[in-house]
Amino acid sequence: MIGASVKQVSKVSMTEARPAQAQHRAGLASTALGLIAAAGLMAIASPAFAQTAAEPAEASPQDAAPLVDAPPVQDPGLAAYDPLEGFNRASFGVSMGLDRAVVGPIAHGYMAVTPKPVRNRVSSVIYNLGEPSTALNDVLQGHPKRFGVTTSRFVINSTIGLLGLFDVAAGMGLQGHGADFGQTFGRYGVKPGPYLYVPVMGPLSFREGVGRALDFATDPVGIIGGGYTTTFGATRLGVGVVDVRARADGAFRALDDSVDPYVTARSAYGQYRESFLREATGEVQALPDFDDAPSTSSEAPSAVTTSSAAGPQ
Amino acid sequence: MTYPEPTMINARPTRRFTQFALVALVGLGALSQARPALAQAARDPQAEQFVQTRAQRVITVLADKNQSVAQKKATFHTAIDQLADVPKITNFVLGKYARTITPDQRTRFSTAFRTYAENVYQNRIDDYHGEKLTVTGSTVRKPGDVIVNTTISGGQVGQPLPVAWRVMGGGASWKVVDVQFKGVWLAITQQQDFVSTIDNAGGNIDVLIAQLQRDGQRSVARK
Repeated sequence: MIGASVKQVSKVSMTEARPAQAQHRAGLASTALGLIAAAGLMAIASPAFAQTAAEPAEASPQDAAPLVDAPPVQDPGLAAYDPLEGFNRASFGVSMGLDRAVVGPIAHGYMAVTPKPVRNRVSSVIYNLGEPSTALNDVLQGHPKRFGVTTSRFVINSTIGLLGLFDVAAGMGLQGHGADFGQTFGRYGVKPGPYLYVPVMGPLSFREGVGRALDFATDPVGIIGGGYTTTFGATRLGVGVVDVRARADGAFRALDDSVDPYVTARSAYGQYRESFLREATGEVQALPDFDDAPSTSSEAPSAVTTSSAAGPQ
Repeated sequence: MTYPEPTMINARPTRRFTQFALVALVGLGALSQARPALAQAARDPQAEQFVQTRAQRVITVLADKNQSVAQKKATFHTAIDQLADVPKITNFVLGKYARTITPDQRTRFSTAFRTYAENVYQNRIDDYHGEKLTVTGSTVRKPGDVIVNTTISGGQVGQPLPVAWRVMGGGASWKVVDVQFKGVWLAITQQQDFVSTIDNAGGNIDVLIAQLQRDGQRSVARK
């Protein structure tokens, strides 16, 4: 399915004047890069806005088979399944280094030269361009009303809202919501699977990773706009990356403040995605008890004694 | 007998799109607006009132431009005592280690955690420059354990920001034990952060305490 979309993106780019073969090769190479960067962006960008109450799920999510054979976890948001922690920690280190050296400074420059209201308008435009992809997932999830809201929002905000600059629809009571393939999979009972930290792309679960590739491949605006090879696509991607990073600046500072930033990012990501999924299923979160000596980690307390024995000699 | 004319089927795509958009706008849009909010479990007006008053106070303190940094810090400290169940949170963030920590370590941890958390969260709430807290509803999980939903708006907040508060208590006496922002519970995240740090130190809680003292200082320095 991803392969098919690569072909599709290349085909779109061939309508341009350059020789077909060279264009095709260049198209493939940059498709790979674009897949990584753009899909990442799309998935982060879409769900960050205000939420609407979820419609109750009609189908029982338990019926579907899990995508990967993960051990049973009560709440994936509260207990991380991270068998690749060694790789992930290294990858996290690389990404944070890249952020400090390149992406962070660009975002800070952008934040320094633009006032917040201007940045909010940019975020609105980027968000609006993600609405068709949200609408697609609303349909796949079997949520006609959410689809109606998303479609109406896109039509209203693209016209009266001046190409998405202003969220006029929200003022009419049509609050935006995110939807992506990761959520769609989850809505049909697919479990998140192992946690992955992919360099540049950031935190993912196996489910969200596959979902993000599909988000990119099926994004209606991306397909019509010619992907990232066109000026429109490249601008959207570039602006989107900076916009996401700028909006996440508070989160990056929160990571800086944490004792173990890797675990903090993993925990926050897991909770965030599960909460995003609950918007589509209408399920209620199971929370840990505050009154007992509590533990949300999957490890039994007895493991502490074993590991501390290896500590001080 | 009349049949639809072929020209109807061959309507131009733009026209069909317009028709579709109209249907979406008028029909589905209106439908979703008319749909009543999801029926929630019982609400708790007293818990809502508590959050409205106390959490608003914390936000007001931080948004007050007339107070000096030192003044803000002192007021924030008092406001936190009125808002949050500090001992309960302190115990919770230790996770499984709450069972094995020594009394001496607990004392040192409590002080270090309090300083660290105040510095960190004062900076973080400051970042959002919100001004007005509005309670939008609440859900009683069980008696004495309520999630109060709010939005924070005004100031430099573009879209109203949904924030949920988990409060415990009863009657007129409530305390916040956890705060959720974009789906992320702060105390739960903090617990995973701390437990992992102690795990990686071979179960040595002193390593976490030392690091909290360092980070607390660093956070002050950056302010």
